[in-house]
Amino acid sequence: MPDNGLLVQMILGALLGLSVYLPMAAGQLSLATPAFYAVGGTLAALMATHADHQGTISLGAVLWEMVVAGALTAALATLVGLPVLRLRGIYLAIATIALVEIVRVAILNLPFTGGATGIFGIPQPFHHPLGYITLSGGLLALCGWAFQRLETSRLGRAMAAIRDDELATRCMGINTTRVKLSAFVASAVLAGVTGVIAAHYLNTWNARQGSFDVAITTLAFVILGGSRSWLGPVIGGLLLTALPELLRPVGDLRLVLFGLVILLGPVFFPQGLITPALLEKLGRWKLRRLKP
Amino acid sequence: MLRSGGLNTGSSDLLSARRRGSVRLAGAVAVAITGLAVLGRNSDPAGKPLPAAVTLGAAIALTGNANLYGQDQRVGLELAQRWFASTPHPRPVRLELEDGASDEPSAIAAFNLLIGRGVIALIGPTLSQQAFAADPIAQRQGVPVVAPSNTAQGIPQIGSFISRVSAQSSVIAPLSLDEALERDPQISRVAVFFAQDDAYSTAETAIFQKALAERGLTPVSVQRTQLADNDFQNPITAALQQKPQLVVISAQAVDGGNLIRQLRELGYRGQIVVGNGLNTPNIYPICQRWCDGVLIAQAYSPDLNTPINQTFRRLFQDANGNRTPGQITAQAWTAYQVLFEALQRLQKRGEMDGVTLGEARRRLMQEVLAGHYDTPLGPIHFRADGEVVQGRFYVAEVTMEANGRHGSFRLVRSFDVDSDAGGPTP
Repeated sequence: MPDNGLLVQMILGALLGLSVYLPMAAGQLSLATPAFYAVGGTLAALMATHADHQGTISLGAVLWEMVVAGALTAALATLVGLPVLRLRGIYLAIATIALVEIVRVAILNLPFTGGATGIFGIPQPFHHPLGYITLSGGLLALCGWAFQRLETSRLGRAMAAIRDDELATRCMGINTTRVKLSAFVASAVLAGVTGVIAAHYLNTWNARQGSFDVAITTLAFVILGGSRSWLGPVIGGLLLTALPELLRPVGDLRLVLFGLVILLGPVFFPQGLITPALLEKLGRWKLRRLKP
Repeated sequence: MLRSGGLNTGSSDLLSARRRGSVRLAGAVAVAITGLAVLGRNSDPAGKPLPAAVTLGAAIALTGNANLYGQDQRVGLELAQRWFASTPHPRPVRLELEDGASDEPSAIAAFNLLIGRGVIALIGPTLSQQAFAADPIAQRQGVPVVAPSNTAQGIPQIGSFISRVSAQSSVIAPLSLDEALERDPQISRVAVFFAQDDAYSTAETAIFQKALAERGLTPVSVQRTQLADNDFQNPITAALQQKPQLVVISAQAVDGGNLIRQLRELGYRGQIVVGNGLNTPNIYPICQRWCDGVLIAQAYSPDLNTPINQTFRRLFQDANGNRTPGQITAQAWTAYQVLFEALQRLQKRGEMDGVTLGEARRRLMQEVLAGHYDTPLGPIHFRADGEVVQGRFYVAEVTMEANGRHGSFRLVRSFDVDSDAGGPTP
């Protein structure tokens, strides 16, 4: 049974999974999520520790940090996205890995981000993990609603069209650059806002939080969960974050088992756990049972 | 595969089924999360009465890049647990060991898990960066923490329930420089290496560089490395061009061990002083015969001739062949000993009877800070803020056997520190 602290980490994992999924829904393999996550977290850590909060901080101040982090990451993503999104496939992935590394080294070396120790003593908006569950769960619910709407919206259909065939989409008069950039910026904002919550939850923030490892972990959320529906990364993020903790009774072998799951997951579920076919089945399920 | 935006009736039916499926699955996920949140509200064990056998929880790095330290700590904790359980004492104590891994979220998860299981106090986590994440959680819930290996500045200041038995590197690190300078007073050219992405190493190199400046030495070369580096040819070549007579390294065991080896392989013959990150026998297999002659300041010496250290050394050797224990193992033992002895003192005075777990935790913390302890590290006690006050420190030289596989930290000199405020005197 996961405790509430683990549940917070699971929800944060799901949010990061969604952030990786967004560019992917427009056919772009971007691994930039940890860079924006780190920017959001660092910003929150700086804002919260510079004002004198005496160990606690109001929810309003955290929400304000989320707004500022969203704006900053959106601006950064626009700046970076315009040149970087000219690349495709593995080249885009490599460019975004470089971005992650640049942000990490910058945070490590900037005079005001605390070097390798990072920033500690970040004040808490909640005294109990339940508060974090409400905040991050609310954000996840909001994202779920937005993603569900997105699928039938003009932008969502354009993203799906680019994913299927970018050239054909452009021939139909859709501004593919703008669509791809929108997905990239939205992904960055989501990662930045998640970083704000994570910084408060972790009590401390340092350059290690936004490393290449995080890029791979969050990519695994999408690969194992499924990249054809927004529910895939959500369920992938929830499960893969919880698994190492739930496997604790196994003892020293737990990470071996965790590795096996990541290895065997794509073998048995090549499209991920959540496939369009599964969703269709779920959608029809009740109807069939009601028929005489 | 269905293309989005299909307009015929069949595909629109399929699309709406898929959307309906999404909504249902999302609903199920939401219900599951809410259910878990309600069920997982940890019924805080602090209000329950203290059980007959109290449990100490240890969250140390058994996986990740800090596991070299964590494995040493596990040995120390398990030896201490077995030894103290075999001595007569009024209250039985159990030890629960959990993997705190090498990152912050895992340390938090391990702390939460152990606190939820009703441990009376915590030992850990292994890294200072993890302590900044996990210690505030223990502090908020009023659970005493004794850190066996956190040496960064500001750890005991996290809160009133946080203490440590690992002395700050600012006290220890400069001692090894003095030894090197005494061996060769002509030293004027010093090269400094440090792992710039490691909190401990960056803090320690600042102390080393300050100590060098106080001794009138300006580094001729300062090289930054990364924890994950394996190949140090570039920084070493750059440093060796400056013809250093002394190299000072602040790094962790794996990267530091490789760095020493490559320094020697590339022709450096001068003295090497290393920091606390390399303070583990686990460096022997990494730098092998090239470890020989490395100077290191330590908070522990296996050669300390006190009954408790002799016992510790004997138990360690019985369990691990003829190897000698390192500082990390001794500090882990000490963390356990401090909590164990404080608990037994409280029990003898009857202050553990009929109290809740929360109250027992509070009393234990006060007792830990109030006591004096005769440990393998030597006599120690605590300042009111939880900082350890240790009387004696050591400088050791790594001595490798001819086969290059086994070695030991040979005591070169010990320093008595006057008090917690005073500086070290040889």
